[in-house]
Amino acid sequence: MSEVIFPTMSEADDATGVLVTWFVDSGDDVTTSTLIAEVAVDKVDAEVYPQSAGTITLLVDEGAEVPQGSVIATIG
Amino acid sequence: MTMTTGAPGAGASIEPDPGKRKLSTSKAIQEAIAQQMRADEGVFVMGEDVGSYGGIFSSTTGLLEEFGPQRIIDTPISETAFIGTGIGAAVEGMRPIVELMFVDFFGVCMDQIYNHMAKIHYESGGNVQVPMVLMTAVGGGYSDGAQHSQSLWGTFAHLPGMKVVVPSNPYDAKGLMTAAIRSNDPVVFMFHKGVMGLGWMKKNQRSVGAVPEESYEVPIGKARVAREGTDVTIVTLSLSVHHALDVAEKLEPEGISVEVIDLRSLVPLDRDAILASVSKTGRLIVVDEDYQSFGVSGEVIASVAERRPGLLTHVSRVCVPDVPLPYASQLEYGVLPTPARIEAAVREAVADRLSS
Repeated sequence: MSEVIFPTMSEADDATGVLVTWFVDSGDDVTTSTLIAEVAVDKVDAEVYPQSAGTITLLVDEGAEVPQGSVIATIG
Repeated sequence: MTMTTGAPGAGASIEPDPGKRKLSTSKAIQEAIAQQMRADEGVFVMGEDVGSYGGIFSSTTGLLEEFGPQRIIDTPISETAFIGTGIGAAVEGMRPIVELMFVDFFGVCMDQIYNHMAKIHYESGGNVQVPMVLMTAVGGGYSDGAQHSQSLWGTFAHLPGMKVVVPSNPYDAKGLMTAAIRSNDPVVFMFHKGVMGLGWMKKNQRSVGAVPEESYEVPIGKARVAREGTDVTIVTLSLSVHHALDVAEKLEPEGISVEVIDLRSLVPLDRDAILASVSKTGRLIVVDEDYQSFGVSGEVIASVAERRPGLLTHVSRVCVPDVPLPYASQLEYGVLPTPARIEAAVREAVADRLSS
């Protein structure tokens, strides 16, 4: 089991971003080259790729505000 | 003027299965451009903020990093100059993709577009081709005012010599961009900001969808049946396709069956697809985010009326009335072709059926 972390994009420790788009659904099989999400902090976008391959479980809803550094999905 | 499509792989009419991998429309456009740039050294991108900024609506994100400033060229605010430069490169055999940041800015550079880009092939007796893509952002709905919210595709489609494509979703955006780059004719590629899948715009669930990883073409000039139905035909394009599909889904439990035709291209216009659908339903609604008068809606209705006038039992249109797009959100949504206006039009169209 590995975790997918909302990337740290702002120098402010308590910065909160938005989970803009999920490109996968819970239960999908992903690899390290699968684009799984796009996130944004202060209107700067970043693409998220998993660190490991497996079956993904999404933990936050699309459009949700998420503190950077939090876990947004798990891969088992 | 003959419209030719001569590049390798052109004319393929089979659109591949979308597969499972999902992209937003903006990423689908980026991927199409990147793949064609890898395949053909003559393909390059030019425009305002297409480089490190990645295009203000993310049509070119990431391309500078891969291809460098020789092929991803940021320009000053000088539309006449850089569109003219693109035309010059195209007639010399390159395949430029030139971005006009907002279609609203066509006013300062229209001589280059419609007197040169669109007419060189004709005026040279067919000897000189202009294989150029003019990519531009269209549409409103986010309070950007009267000079940054227009659709204007009817204006470009009215003038001869340019193909005009207007994708509504990621799959079509990639396939039409690929076809546009490979086409030996000038193609105006008009993307609505609201279908790009951008986090800072109003998000639309249909702006993210399955897209094949390989290169493929969506044929220019071919409409798509976005949803099959039997009671009424909605002919539309771009963001309004999504609104029409939402309305169709909402009304299905009431027994109202709506067919939605996504035109995808305006030039050439797929009149056969329009006629085939209206042959089935007899009722036609045209939904168009462009201005109502002298535009796409009139052309679509005339296409049916000229060929099969007896088919039509109901005709209406849901367009922007002939006023500039307001800045104030409440006023803007008062003139845009909203789902509420489309739903009202459908109910009116089928009123005779339900009362009989």
